[in-house]
Amino acid sequence: MDYLLALAATGVIMGIIYALMAMGLTLIFSILNVINFAHGEFYMLGGYFSYFLLTLFTGLNPFVAVFLSGLLVSVIGLIFEFFFLRPMHLGRIERPPEYAVLITFGLSFFLQNLALAVFGPYPHRPTSFFSGAVDLGVVRVSTDRLTASVLSLILLGLLLLLINKTWIGKALQAVSQNKDAAAVVGINPLRMNTIAFSLGVGLAAIAGALLAPSFSIMPDVGAVPSIRSYVIIVLGGMGSIPGSILGGVLIGLVESLGAGYFPDPSRGLTYKTSFGLIIFALVLLFRPRGFFGRKER
Amino acid sequence: MFRKKNLMGLLALLLVMTVLAGCAPEVVTETVRETVEVTVKETVVVKEEVVVTPEEEAMPEADTILIGAVGPLSAPGSFQAGTEMRNATEMAVDEINDAGGILGKQVELIFGDTEGLPERGTAVVERLITQNNVVGLTGEYHSGVGLTEIEVAHKYGVPFVQAETWADEITSSGYPEIFRIAPSIDFYSSIATNYIAEVGWEKIVFVVENSDYGHLQSESWVAQLEALGITDVEVFFADADTEDFTPILQRIMQDPPDMLAGVITGIGNSRMLRQACDLGLAPTAETAYYASVDSQYPEFWENVGDCGQYVFFTYVGLPESLWNEKTGGFIAAYEERYKQAPGGSAMAAYDGTYLLLNAIEDAGSTDSQAIIDALETIKYTGVMGDFWFEYTADNPVPASEPAWMWHQWPTPNTYIIQYTEVDQSAGDAPVVYPTERANGDLYTSP
Repeated sequence: MDYLLALAATGVIMGIIYALMAMGLTLIFSILNVINFAHGEFYMLGGYFSYFLLTLFTGLNPFVAVFLSGLLVSVIGLIFEFFFLRPMHLGRIERPPEYAVLITFGLSFFLQNLALAVFGPYPHRPTSFFSGAVDLGVVRVSTDRLTASVLSLILLGLLLLLINKTWIGKALQAVSQNKDAAAVVGINPLRMNTIAFSLGVGLAAIAGALLAPSFSIMPDVGAVPSIRSYVIIVLGGMGSIPGSILGGVLIGLVESLGAGYFPDPSRGLTYKTSFGLIIFALVLLFRPRGFFGRKER
Repeated sequence: MFRKKNLMGLLALLLVMTVLAGCAPEVVTETVRETVEVTVKETVVVKEEVVVTPEEEAMPEADTILIGAVGPLSAPGSFQAGTEMRNATEMAVDEINDAGGILGKQVELIFGDTEGLPERGTAVVERLITQNNVVGLTGEYHSGVGLTEIEVAHKYGVPFVQAETWADEITSSGYPEIFRIAPSIDFYSSIATNYIAEVGWEKIVFVVENSDYGHLQSESWVAQLEALGITDVEVFFADADTEDFTPILQRIMQDPPDMLAGVITGIGNSRMLRQACDLGLAPTAETAYYASVDSQYPEFWENVGDCGQYVFFTYVGLPESLWNEKTGGFIAAYEERYKQAPGGSAMAAYDGTYLLLNAIEDAGSTDSQAIIDALETIKYTGVMGDFWFEYTADNPVPASEPAWMWHQWPTPNTYIIQYTEVDQSAGDAPVVYPTERANGDLYTSP
């Protein structure tokens, strides 16, 4: 029983962090109708920025470094959206869906190779938030991972507040539901696109910076989290924020329990990612819209 | 209007790319390749064209000696090791060129990125041989990639000194073109398994990388431990890019072993160690921790912190206590040039390059068979020690020796090293096994 609880606790802790990463992706998709294939690379940049901020400014609080990393990556996202995605929404691109795939894929390759050239091939790890581990009764968890999970939970709560209680949040929702109707009531969809993209990649960067002390960073560190994020947003329902949270926790649980209880123990960890994909396939089969997906009109 | 602009922009981009491509040296060889391919496919009538192809003309007139080197420079390969190998190979070539080159010519190096992918390794070696016309090859880190590369080198009869591939089959293939200065898996494993038996651990758990290397390594360990009477051995596989090892570590915690091994290359090495340490599983007084060879890199400590103390690993290279004159010179020069201490992969790549180039010098020509003959009889002192190949065409591997001894450097430097202090460098850490060359206690427990 203790083993089951330990696996479940690990799964939930990881799932909350997965949800934060996926939240950015779902925000971008719901507003811009674009799947950001460079999401993992923004996650990677967040980790690197946090690492270099803490290395360059010794004594800087790691939490401040996480926030600044998110901010820096948001600015990069804003510039990218303005120059490369906005033309698509202005009707200047002939085949927008293909363009969106190619441009974000291109950005992914560019950022990964740029990181390899600039930051080098060796793994780095920023300073811990707190050293040591915490005993939760059923499981010992590193304080870094627990901190990342708690902060992710707080950020998810703040984001839900922003979306549901502020003007900008309501404007984003309006644009995600109907761009033309939103424009009629005075909301500038282009500006909302920029805000959503910037905020989305900023969240990925914060997730990267939060997890960097636990998992270290390398140029290709975003590959696995980004694939997992695509699974989560489809599970939760494309564009659904509560769906992303539920999807994240579910994937965290399935991966942890699957790896722990797989009949051939030697293969449990190798198949970890595929356990999530099985759930993904089942949801697509029986509920193609995901848990909270909207019906197409 | 915008579309026209876009079209113009695209055309301009294509033009720039064409011009840039035109400046690249490979275009000449590309043309050569096409000509050769046509002649191969065509009938005898076209044979004349082969005679007058730029390739055939260019080869005798070449004023440089072109060699190829391969290794992983990007994911999913172990690009830390690959980068070290490229650095060391370039350094060796530059040193030789500064000293006047070989056979009166400068040496030109083309380093191919194999990305740790077998199919990519095959393509890169095929290109280096058929398009770039390299006279010999060196390098490679991943066994799975090396195994496919040797097939290509064998097909074209081009000598290949494999620097860091450990699969037994690399040399047990018996190919005349293939030489190896890295330990075979069988030899490498024996150092760790004999050490385990010597310390007296009985319950062992391996978490190994889910790759050719990991599978071959674990099979070898299990068989050798069984032969030593240690049968309580469990093996788990994990992908090298696994983020969270906790589920499997929690499973292992249900019945903690005497020794836990995390044999994952790249970032997985430090991730697993930290997570085992955070869970309180290892390294502890009850459970020792055996890490992967990547623990030798300076970034190890940044990534694992205090958890690295008491960890031990198999080191392939020469610990500081066993350095010769060349080793010290190489390490100083490498550090000055790359601002980083070289690991065992850099040493192997450096020696592999010198071996190949010395063989070309000894052969007195760039003819493949002449280079192979020279490698078979070579005696060379490198940064890792004295090199020679015991079993060759004139002295075949006897039935009493394993088949992988063919074209194999018989004494690759393989030691068990233990970090007894935090932030200790691999050079400063004591060698704890083999006992006859050890300068520290057999095992220091937390």
